[in-house]
Amino acid sequence: MIGEIAHFFSLSAALLLIIILLLNTIFFFSNPNSNQLILSIRLFNQSCWLIFVSFGLYIYLAITDDFSISYIASHSNSQLPIFYKIASIWSAHEGSMFLWIVFLALWSLLFINGLDKNNPLKKLTLIMLILVILGFLLFLLITSNPFSRILPFGVMDGADINPILQDPALAIHPPILYLGYVGFVISFSYVMAYLCKGNFKIEWEEDIRAWSFVAWIFLTVGITLGSWWAYYELGWGGYWFWDPVENVALLPWLAATAFMHSLYASSKSNILKTWTLFLGIMIFSLSLFGAFIVRSGIIDSVHSFANDPQRGLYLLGFSGLMTLLSLVIFAYRIPAINSSKPVITGSKESFLSMNNILMVTSIFSIFLGVTYPLILESFSGEKVSIGPPYYNTIFAPLILIASILIMISVDSLWQRKMLARKFFRSIIPTFIFVTSIIYIFWYLIKEFSLLTYIGIFSGLIILVAYFIKIISSLKAKEYINKGSAFAHIGLGILFLSISVNSLLSYQKNINLSVGESLRINESIESFKFSNLNVRTASNHDVISANVFVLMDGVSVNLNPEKRKYSTRGQITSETAIHATPFKDIYLNIGDQLEDGSWTFSLKINYFVKWIWLSSALMVLGMVLAMQKRKI
Amino acid sequence: MLEVRRKRLGKLLVILFISAVGISLILFSLNSKLDLFYTPSEILSGKINSSSRIKLGGMVKENSIKRLGTSTSFLVTDFQAEVFVKFEGVTPDLFKEGSGVVVLGYFKDQKFSAEEIFAKHDENYMPPELEIGSQSE
Repeated sequence: MIGEIAHFFSLSAALLLIIILLLNTIFFFSNPNSNQLILSIRLFNQSCWLIFVSFGLYIYLAITDDFSISYIASHSNSQLPIFYKIASIWSAHEGSMFLWIVFLALWSLLFINGLDKNNPLKKLTLIMLILVILGFLLFLLITSNPFSRILPFGVMDGADINPILQDPALAIHPPILYLGYVGFVISFSYVMAYLCKGNFKIEWEEDIRAWSFVAWIFLTVGITLGSWWAYYELGWGGYWFWDPVENVALLPWLAATAFMHSLYASSKSNILKTWTLFLGIMIFSLSLFGAFIVRSGIIDSVHSFANDPQRGLYLLGFSGLMTLLSLVIFAYRIPAINSSKPVITGSKESFLSMNNILMVTSIFSIFLGVTYPLILESFSGEKVSIGPPYYNTIFAPLILIASILIMISVDSLWQRKMLARKFFRSIIPTFIFVTSIIYIFWYLIKEFSLLTYIGIFSGLIILVAYFIKIISSLKAKEYINKGSAFAHIGLGILFLSISVNSLLSYQKNINLSVGESLRINESIESFKFSNLNVRTASNHDVISANVFVLMDGVSVNLNPEKRKYSTRGQITSETAIHATPFKDIYLNIGDQLEDGSWTFSLKINYFVKWIWLSSALMVLGMVLAMQKRKI
Repeated sequence: MLEVRRKRLGKLLVILFISAVGISLILFSLNSKLDLFYTPSEILSGKINSSSRIKLGGMVKENSIKRLGTSTSFLVTDFQAEVFVKFEGVTPDLFKEGSGVVVLGYFKDQKFSAEEIFAKHDENYMPPELEIGSQSE
């Protein structure tokens, strides 16, 4: 019964949205009246609340184990802790889309009610938001109904959530990522409303800045959580695989980052107006493209948990239509938007413009990498995949150029030429200093790889440039943009730590019996497999190895596990990680051989913590930048 | 006016030239970094360049997994042809006999040396016995 009520609420929400659209069509031909807008917004609010209540009831169904609902029956289980019963809702397609819609409604509700009632763009924004929500709601109800029942009788117990998804980081990763993805519906709708309205004197940047900041933060945190989860759960020792699903999350992130930079320039000095509008459209279009790639399953991916080719068509149609329509309107309006102020070379705006060019280049390259296998397969029938080597070669030069630009731009000013004196005072010493550090580094480890050294160089020049800037501005008590400094230092640490990680990390495969020990290398003096424990947990059996690693004179106890989940019979591995500031000992247990010995894979990963730290710094930078703007 | 136009044309040509160079660099990199995907029959029949990294996909043949120390060998089959694969390291959890697998590596002297093994994990994953059981219901 509750399932039907929830279903009914969702259907009424969709119906209500259609009614608002019809009403507005009628209003279009009648005399404009402020009550029309008030009515539309009231109805819209009610529609959003219907969606929330419907989702609330769905959570209740999941908690109370209603296995007559086929989606819950195939993704949850009575033995699961409540937390995972709720998380099971977004462990696959239908529930994920449902959550996506709930967030769409949430963002829209907050935004539209927060807008000033005399805002000229309010009505058009509302209509844009309704179109997007309605598109997804119809998609959910028509092609992927989460409420459908198993008739006439439900099953006794659910089929369980995939064990590798039973993890706190993964349970909160999708909601946060979706909040980020969906949050850009605000900038999209507002930009579209602005373009449709055709009154280009309206100042729109200020109204959506904070919203875009918050969405950007969610997106960043969501991507980092996913990466962190992959690192400790998938057991491959990596944190980023250039997998299609990761790439489509990176696309809106890059577009969003470009958008934040461009928005800054466009509100500060009235340039890059058209660019900002274009990016505002692109972020959401890329989010839609991402939803299509992830949900349709047309691309093989390690993250493809829930896919169905038939649904792809609807999503492709919807996202294609949205993107096409918005680009047509954009193209139609550009000639009228006047932003042609000459950009002075060396000024802050010029660097922000170049940032945009680089961002768009990287978006294009990733987009090509994701779609090229599809294009090639449909034309020549050849099956190919594109892995890390492609992205590494593409990104190395882009990162180098970006870092040099960031380094130079540290001292740049709005609408003014750069002072040659400053240029020589900071840039040349930075170059000399960084080159000598790299030379010493190379001398010490005697390993060379062009791509990683480019990464190290790029990271270091950003860090050194900001270091000099901070010192000099503290001395002279000059103003410094803290948000920008934190975010860019984060970026520098990211480049540096990724490069050092790929240069120094290594792996050893080990075959040992219980009680044996082994010397690995100068750093790892002993690897002792002391014993093996077997125990039973609530919904799985565990084999846990007890291993002592003596590394650099410190003894570390590690317990990698193999788990067998009772419901699905699926086996998973739990990696044991000992994380120190500079390196992680990362140990996996493999299989048992015929002679009773076990295999292990031991990885020493460098600077992994710094990767998470860099992302935290970028988020902190954004938070600071957001606060500063509010004044 | 003409001067302005000529300048604009010049700018346009420079932009076009730069993007053309950029795009061709990207495409060139794309072509040299592709991993082509083959089935066992294709590998054994065709001329595979032993120096290029490829992907091989198929089923792990029943009773073919042999482990010795840290190395694992097995046969990948498409029920027409079989390829012998060698791998060094710990295999993924979902890698097992009778299941689908994709390996990435080099094919040389009728042997495939795998650098990586991908075993698909999926939300709809079910052990084969269970799957047959649920279909007969």
